Amino acid sequence: MSTAAVNQKLWEQNATPKHRIQWCPGCGDFGVLNALKAALARLELMPHDVLLVGGIGCSGQIRNYLNGNAFHGTHGGALAYALGAKMANPDLTVIALAGDGDTLAIGIENFVHVCRRDPAVTLLIMNNGVYGLTKGQKSPTHGLGMPQGVSTEEDPPFVDPLRLALVCGASFVAQTFSGDPKHSADVLVEALRHPGFAVINDFSPCVTYNKFNTYDWYKEHVEHLPQDHDASDRQAAWQLLDEFDGKGKLPLGIVYRHPRQRTAHRRLPLWDEELAEVDPEPMLRLFR
Amino acid sequence: MVVNNLKLLVGGVQLRDGVTTVTDILGKMFVRAGLHVLAMEKGYASTIYGAHQYDPMVVSATPPLSYGDDRSDILVALEFDTNPDAPVQPNRDTILRHGKNLADGGVLLYDSTTGTVDVSDLERRGVKVFPLPARQIALRELKREVVKNTVVTGALLRLLEFDMDLALFRQYLEERFGRKGKDIVELNLEAARRGRAVIEEVLRANGWRDVGYRLVPQPTTGRAVLLNGNDALSMGAILAGCRFYAGYPITPASAILEFMEAHLPRYGGRALQGQNERESIRAAIGAAVAGVRSAVGSSGPGISLKVEEFGVAGVTETPVVIIDTQRAGPSTGMPTKPEQGDLAMAVFAGHGEIPRIVLAAGTIEECYTLAFEAFDLADKYQCPVFLLSDLTLADGRRDVPEEFFRTHRRPVVRHGLLREADLRQDGYRRYQITESGISPRNVPGVPGGIFKSSGSEHDEQGMITTDPPKRKAMVEKRMRKMQTYLKEDAKPPLVFGTPDGAVLLVGWGSTRLPMLDAQARLHAEGLETCVVHFTHLWPFPTHLVRPLLQRGKDIIVVEQNYAGQLADLIQQECLLPTRRILKYNGRPFYTSDITGGVRQLLTNGTRVVRVGDRAPAVVLETVPEGD
Repeated sequence: MSTAAVNQKLWEQNATPKHRIQWCPGCGDFGVLNALKAALARLELMPHDVLLVGGIGCSGQIRNYLNGNAFHGTHGGALAYALGAKMANPDLTVIALAGDGDTLAIGIENFVHVCRRDPAVTLLIMNNGVYGLTKGQKSPTHGLGMPQGVSTEEDPPFVDPLRLALVCGASFVAQTFSGDPKHSADVLVEALRHPGFAVINDFSPCVTYNKFNTYDWYKEHVEHLPQDHDASDRQAAWQLLDEFDGKGKLPLGIVYRHPRQRTAHRRLPLWDEELAEVDPEPMLRLFR
Repeated sequence: MVVNNLKLLVGGVQLRDGVTTVTDILGKMFVRAGLHVLAMEKGYASTIYGAHQYDPMVVSATPPLSYGDDRSDILVALEFDTNPDAPVQPNRDTILRHGKNLADGGVLLYDSTTGTVDVSDLERRGVKVFPLPARQIALRELKREVVKNTVVTGALLRLLEFDMDLALFRQYLEERFGRKGKDIVELNLEAARRGRAVIEEVLRANGWRDVGYRLVPQPTTGRAVLLNGNDALSMGAILAGCRFYAGYPITPASAILEFMEAHLPRYGGRALQGQNERESIRAAIGAAVAGVRSAVGSSGPGISLKVEEFGVAGVTETPVVIIDTQRAGPSTGMPTKPEQGDLAMAVFAGHGEIPRIVLAAGTIEECYTLAFEAFDLADKYQCPVFLLSDLTLADGRRDVPEEFFRTHRRPVVRHGLLREADLRQDGYRRYQITESGISPRNVPGVPGGIFKSSGSEHDEQGMITTDPPKRKAMVEKRMRKMQTYLKEDAKPPLVFGTPDGAVLLVGWGSTRLPMLDAQARLHAEGLETCVVHFTHLWPFPTHLVRPLLQRGKDIIVVEQNYAGQLADLIQQECLLPTRRILKYNGRPFYTSDITGGVRQLLTNGTRVVRVGDRAPAVVLETVPEGD
């Protein structure tokens, strides 16, 4: 077996067996899972160095479908746990895996501010436009590609995670389609290498509850970015999104990538021996 | 002549007059001179500027038992102006509000820049009055308004015949402003001398030799510091190994965040100002998952916003210390006023059931010592640990010998964190069912093992399950940790006095000092009481508490809330009837509240006494306050 295949096998240990995975047959998240395993294998990361933070919903289950440490808390909280873990130990590879509802509805506060904070965390949004687990309620990305009817408070237009990420200052913004896992894996590799916050909006169709944004619909609408797109140019990124909108297409690829200047941090002390020699003098001095 | 025993109250307009600048300088100088200082009732408002601020301070030869009642011996009013819009209510809040509580024969020092104030009622009670045009001296003579407080400080030092050669004051200034600030030091010393000259003139004009109060330096065995509960708690947390702290700005917990931001990086740690209360606790949980000792701090409204995360920490078995410096609630309540209203929240809040530990500090010193315990317990039991403080402790200051911090420090021992060699052995299961309920724990980044952890119910591997036997076993495993805690770590309440046949005064939190003071006063009046004070509140140590309380005659619970939350817990857990003295008017417990309440309960047989009806001396127009 090739090294890549060995590495791929590694990511299947300590995980829910394949036949026990509880996604609907044909769920877009299978493509995401394959892409994720391929990217982690290609980067030759070790499972003990990886922390997968899952959101609530079908998508968040992915954390248990591959090897690596995993955490899962409240609905909308994934990014904030990931932030804390990454601040505590910058040597970890921290990946937040959440749905569009988790990220852009109940977790929007974290999305906005983590874009600003720019921790070296990768966020993979498994975007299907619905709350699948609760049987198909509309999520904030619902309505993609649909004719814009009369807007009401109950039925507002959809949120575009790419534009929102750009506005909030994300330093890596990309879009992928789970029907094209090879491309998704390529983008994930770049995201995981990015020394800041990386947002990937992955179109991951819900085959049960979204009968509009289907695989076929996506195949018709997605289009890879032109080769000459300058991802480091913020203005070009905006222009590109508008151009694709204009022709009714969804861009796939890295729309924006511009690492910030960062202060390096070390892992915070946690072992007994690292916490033994602590001098209270500088603190006591304040109170004399 | 009263030597080394007085209560001084400095008041003025918030932000403008620098009330705490004066009390901070004085307090530190007194402590350096070997005196004991206790200032537990910093009165301030939830507004930046303009409200009345006051800061009473007990100074004594021995460590004061309590801050006593609202009586003071020496009143310093920093307000210098009159209010042209309200001639009957000039801007003289300090005199109007606190003059009534000034002791007969006490001292009043006030800024007379815009004219003298009619205080004939005070003079009739033998109060010695010292008008001092401090602002005028600062502005006209020294050309720097900022030194008006130094003029007052110099005057006050002369009144108390303390540091007459200004040597201590010079030392303080030099340390503060350093060599570069030579001019500033000289300017301040000159300001102090001018203040002092005014006092000498008034003394001479009235033919007074002194004011009847004096502070005399005393020999000390070692150096002491003057600090508040937030300071002590922060320092304790850092020495206990806390290396990640998160908080969202809120009174009175913000000072902990600021302390952590200033000092954690020095010790290799990081402090995060959350964008909201949830981000704070979630980031703290994330850091704890990564293996770091981690804490989050807030006050009531912020703690309410974190409730869902209690369950996450409980079920994922993530150790996190949650600090709640309580203030008067509910909702925004009274942000700058004390209350003990969050006990029920700490013990019960959240859906479902989780193991949790609740500790409450009763003194500034305990803010330090319980911090060590909180982090140790969180590590050992892998659950949220609540460390309750309250506004009285958070803002109150007292002198503590430096030796205390050394002798009460505990070495950091991380319980149960597995290293590579442990993980390499077969069969590591993050949520292994054990007799103690405590499972082994790994940290991401350590080779040899991984964990899967989840807020959803899970099996021993951390994989989600709803299988009834597995669910039952996992709930029982988690809750069994609390049985282990009760066996190995629960502590009985502190007992002051002999409980047998005595009236038991039972409390928790910052009420301890006034309760002890009340005990002494009641003893002098012939009534024996025993003070029972809780620090370890949950899991409730029924096996230690019930036999203790049964030895007493009456159980009187003293609490700063409406319902009597500890009293309810005692009744629920010990099946013993309680009587209650309750106060929730936004002022701390005074000793007389407790002595009066006890007498009332014992004579008229009621079950509950609600104290604190007495209105402030003068009700001024309402100052609008914020959050």
